[in-house]
Amino acid sequence: MATIALENLSYTYSSAQTPIFEHVTTQFPAHQFTLLTGPSGTGKSTLLQLIAGLLSLPAEHGQIRYDQALLGDIPATDRSKRVAMMFQNPNQQFAMDTVEHELIFALENQQNDPQIIMHRLTSALDFVGIRNLQKRLLSQLSGGEKQKVALAVIVAMDSDVILLDEPFASVDPIARAGLLRRLVELRDHRGKTIILADHDYAGYDELVDHVVQITPEHQLKMLPQTDWAQLFAAFQPQALPTWPVPSVVEQPLFDLHQVGLSQGEHTLLTPTDLQLHAHHNTLITGANGTGKSTLFEALVRLNPYDGTISYQGRDIQKFRQKRYARQVALLFQDAEAQFFNITVAEELAQSQKYAYSDYFTPARIQAALTQLNLAGRDGQVIYTLSEGQKKKLQILLMLIMQSPVLLMDEPLKGLDLKSIHALVGLLQTTLRETHQTLIIISHQLTGLTPLIDYHLRLADHRLQYGGATHES
Amino acid sequence: MNPSLKLLLLLIVALEISFTNIVSLNVALVVLSIIYLLACRVKLRTLLWLLIVPLIPAIGLWSTQYINGTGQKELMAWVLFTRIYAFVFTGATLTLTTDVLALADSLEQNCHLPSKFAYGVLAAYNLAPKIKHEVQVIRAAGLMRGQTLSFWSPQLYFKAILIAINWSQNLAQAMSSHGFVEDAPRTHYRQIQIRTSDWVILIGGVLLLQVGVFVMPWR
Amino acid sequence: MKWVKDWYLSDIILLALIGVFFGIIFLGTNYIYDILAAVFAPLGLSQIPNELLLGLWCMPGMLAGYMLRIKGSSVLGEFLASVVEMLFGGQWGASTMISGVLQGVGSELGFTLTRYKHYDWLGLVATAATTTIVTFGWDLARSGYAKLQLWLLLLFFVIRFCSMFVFGGLLTRAITDLLDRSHVLKKTHTN
Repeated sequence: MATIALENLSYTYSSAQTPIFEHVTTQFPAHQFTLLTGPSGTGKSTLLQLIAGLLSLPAEHGQIRYDQALLGDIPATDRSKRVAMMFQNPNQQFAMDTVEHELIFALENQQNDPQIIMHRLTSALDFVGIRNLQKRLLSQLSGGEKQKVALAVIVAMDSDVILLDEPFASVDPIARAGLLRRLVELRDHRGKTIILADHDYAGYDELVDHVVQITPEHQLKMLPQTDWAQLFAAFQPQALPTWPVPSVVEQPLFDLHQVGLSQGEHTLLTPTDLQLHAHHNTLITGANGTGKSTLFEALVRLNPYDGTISYQGRDIQKFRQKRYARQVALLFQDAEAQFFNITVAEELAQSQKYAYSDYFTPARIQAALTQLNLAGRDGQVIYTLSEGQKKKLQILLMLIMQSPVLLMDEPLKGLDLKSIHALVGLLQTTLRETHQTLIIISHQLTGLTPLIDYHLRLADHRLQYGGATHES
Repeated sequence: MNPSLKLLLLLIVALEISFTNIVSLNVALVVLSIIYLLACRVKLRTLLWLLIVPLIPAIGLWSTQYINGTGQKELMAWVLFTRIYAFVFTGATLTLTTDVLALADSLEQNCHLPSKFAYGVLAAYNLAPKIKHEVQVIRAAGLMRGQTLSFWSPQLYFKAILIAINWSQNLAQAMSSHGFVEDAPRTHYRQIQIRTSDWVILIGGVLLLQVGVFVMPWR
Repeated sequence: MKWVKDWYLSDIILLALIGVFFGIIFLGTNYIYDILAAVFAPLGLSQIPNELLLGLWCMPGMLAGYMLRIKGSSVLGEFLASVVEMLFGGQWGASTMISGVLQGVGSELGFTLTRYKHYDWLGLVATAATTTIVTFGWDLARSGYAKLQLWLLLLFFVIRFCSMFVFGGLLTRAITDLLDRSHVLKKTHTN
């Protein structure tokens, strides 16, 4: 039982000038499943945090009501009965060590009688179908398993409203389907109100009751059902071009021998033999949570693996760390991981200072900045850039370094089409001159394909060159 | 034994032996601790490891007194040598046999430690494996941009603090979303009690220690 | 128990996380200590590496006090770091906690004596000095310093103060300067 009403809601981050929401008035109806859409960075998370009461809302900035009650008037200790949230990053949403302890923690917080705690715990685990995980350490679970635990906590707390903030970013397709099925069941049989934010709308059209968009005018718009087809069509699986399968060579760039990857007890990659090739660009695709990033971390020695990986004929474990980092660099998915200074100019200066080749002259850097629409921001503090600007700067910094191999983990994430074209253009001109080798993980393929020579697919715990299986 | 009282006993022992210079007492504490640890089925390998780890600091303190001390140099040298081992082995009776969660439960329920301290620290502690990995990532990311980050590099700590700020906010939000309210009452599924026997061990232990310090004619 | 109310959950988690992060970084310095201590042992000077590196271990407290600027943050920061250290590394047992409290109190005193108003070089020098004095007092007993020759005692004291100043003063200042310039800390300032 909970209809959520936003009344005249306005919100601005203290650090930003432009508001995220301006005088929004809308309703999320009870017992229904609403999909909240909009590109990254438009305020989906902020809206959910406001609805959950995790961000405080000054009275003059509007009101949020649960049925008739003002959110601010609901005692803090009753709030988890009304609303709970599943977060985007599954790694920082638990306080305890094991699954069982986390559920107990939540149930104790709600001041449940200790007598009934175990019963509610087990029935919540049974509902989500993860009774087998009860005693497991959370740090040993896969992304999909962690989100199932997060859902089990919400089920155990029996919250009326369930908010989900891009919950499937590191969840594999089977786990995702399982989670969505449980959500529909919670709506249909337990009368829960569900609001789910996502930027990838694939598979929602059959499930949801409403689609709400955050508009460029900082408003919320309920999308009429007649417009859905157009919205969801953009997220139909894309047909990929086919790329040739490379032939086996004497000295490949990377030689993987019986390489296996796992996350806790969860197998990601069964032992695999594979070559990766120099001076060609390889695209790696595969669903969320299948282990693509883990593979990259293994290639730069940040993650353990079975078997051996050789770089230019030599076991990568035998290189000195510093020397290997000069050869094989990783563009991290989180742009901030790559920054070590404060201003744009300082970062550029550092990359220039340590670059391994002098291809990027000051003139070329200036041209690249202009091309990427980053010019004139020399003195700006990086942490005040938009996510898209951070991403473009990060890529430029790593390009300037000119390590012979650059592994790029989702380089186009959160970029608009114009930026993508500018970036791919820059990559193409640079590669023509420098013969750098790129290995790219990407979901976003529009605009990227001209760069690609080979295609690896990670599916069913196997990593194979394209053509072997179809994109599903 | 009740974890809080055990901790209290160990703190008293550690404080008192810091101010007493009796080699035999230190050795007796080590022996008692080893017996306790063996009774708790701690592996022999772990015990051996506990003997090796403090060796260098122990020798360091020993040689400092032996060479540069005043008065009874030899006695003080051995006092300090054995004191280190007494710290390590009495400490191990807590860290090797008492679950961190049980200690937190006990501090919350028996000592009325505000739950935000108990669970705030637990939440951070449980992320330790991730944090270890994250430190490696910071260092690797630095190397990939040509920069070696050492323990004296401000950037290393700066990056660590940025991540800590971000994670602390995420964790605090997640805990609120899981119903945690600061300074609000909670129920307890795992009830931790202080039994009479716990008090007996604590008081008996402290008394025995006084006998060891003031009564026993060790030498 | 008014001080309890001054602390928000996110502050506590932040200090504990910083404790874990720093602890893991410091563990990497143990080999330096081991080598130096072994080298200096024949001269009876193996406390010198200990004195040299002690500032590092006291840094969480001095940094927490300087960064968060809440009364008690040095004590809590250093204490949480030592608790995590005890649970994590474990080998020094309960004496880690005692040291942690004393180190924290020592650092806090510096800010108290400057009335929680001098978040500048004066405050940093003060906290380095009080941390040195309090921890040194503890080591007079615990590490048997009271029985050492005077010249050595003075040498240790001077080295310890330098270490406290380098790590708790210079390095802390460099780190917090980066934080200030990055504008990220304001978002977390809850009071």
